[in-house]
Amino acid sequence: MKKVLLVLPFLLIGAVVAMADHDDHGHDGSKKLSGVAVANNAVYQKECGSCHFAYQPGLLPKRSWAKMMNTLDDHFGDDASLDPKTTNYLKNYLVNNSSDNSLEYKRSKKITASIASNQIPLRITKTPYFMHKHNDIPKKMITQKEVGNIGNCIACHTTAEKGIYSERDIKIPNYGGWDD
Amino acid sequence: MKKQLALLIILGALSNAGGFNPSMQSYINGLKIEAKKSNSNFTDFSAQRGEQIFTSKHIGKRGKEISCTSCHGSNLTLPSKNAFTNKTIDPLSPKVNSQRLTDVLEVQKWLKRNFNDVYKREGTAQEKGDVLYYIKSK
Ligand code: HEC
Ligand code: HEC
Ligand code: HEC
Repeated sequence: MKKVLLVLPFLLIGAVVAMADHDDHGHDGSKKLSGVAVANNAVYQKECGSCHFAYQPGLLPKRSWAKMMNTLDDHFGDDASLDPKTTNYLKNYLVNNSSDNSLEYKRSKKITASIASNQIPLRITKTPYFMHKHNDIPKKMITQKEVGNIGNCIACHTTAEKGIYSERDIKIPNYGGWDD
Repeated sequence: MKKQLALLIILGALSNAGGFNPSMQSYINGLKIEAKKSNSNFTDFSAQRGEQIFTSKHIGKRGKEISCTSCHGSNLTLPSKNAFTNKTIDPLSPKVNSQRLTDVLEVQKWLKRNFNDVYKREGTAQEKGDVLYYIKSK
């Protein structure tokens, strides 16, 4: 009995945390989460976060990830090759958490919907949804040395690690927030 | 048993002071054997040759002039920026970054990739050893 009483508070905390997790429920009761799912896989962070920000799997559809993982030795002109076991492991992780497998997340759903079914984009930055959102940004804000290129999400989106890309968390280096 | 343990600890401390850790040292020893096979005059790796390999410019994989310093900078004790992605890279010098040159798989993986980026081919055993001696000396 004593043991049960000791465990009880933790169970309660667990329940509250679980509820907070689902804060973003749509009014129709279906699961609707903002942003994209966090990339909380340690192998992924290590292997795909060493040269650039570890882009969340929910930013591209599974056909894109599958194609990318088959051509890592020529990865946008760079050699990102891994041993076959790690390659396969990460391919599964990316495909399982791809945008088309994460439609409960708002951004993943919009990205997926924006890509024509016969297209296999390898760049997030070439998906129609992304281009539409970033077309109005003046070139000089992107080419400045603190940013460098538009794939450097974390330079402008201060909460990119958390999968949150909302406007209020944007801070462009040397220019500040974004008001449109 | 106790003596053996003490010996191990002393050996460990020694190898950390000047040289490489045991697994890195056996990787280096393997490279030496390989280097000797293709060059009978080979005696040991040289940080000086390594510096040349590290700082000289070449037309790289992307068809543009590039060197190891394009991503790692000329002062290996300072952070630098990846020339392709603009992401910050922690210093390569083991003197300020104790993680460096400690994990053989990590070192092999990056030498393979980075030689391809700069030299459009993998490094030879001698080149890899030279450049590791150079980084270690910085
Ligand atoms: C050796 C360095 C390196 C590693 C490791 C690496 N990448 Fe990349 N990645 C690059 C470069 C370079 C680019 C292109 C940057 C540019 O030119 O804009 C890139 C671009 C990308 C892009 C496109 C970004 C855009 O513009 O939309 C995605 C997606 C991507 N990488 C995913 C991955 C994944 C997944 C992994 C792990 C399997 C990975 N990368 C590992 C170097 C790397
Ligand atoms: C130069 C700064 C900059 C970089 C780099 C950048 N973004 Fe953005 N992003 C913006 C701005 C500014 C907006 C707001 C555009 C608007 O709503 O008018 C935006 C909007 C977005 C939105 C839509 C947010 C909303 O509220 O509608 C998403 C999603 C997004 N970015 C993802 C990314 C990802 C993923 C990357 C990296 C691959 C990235 N961004 C790189 C500046 C940037
Ligand atoms: C295109 C950019 C780029 C170039 C060019 C480059 N490197 Fe690297 N290098 C990286 C990145 C990224 C890492 C891993 C990031 C990290 O560990 O902080 C890395 C890691 C390493 C490591 C691993 C060190 C350790 O123990 O963690 C070594 C060794 C290394 N590089 C040597 C070289 C040599 C030698 C050259 C030239 C032949 C070179 N690099 C050129 C980007 C580059």
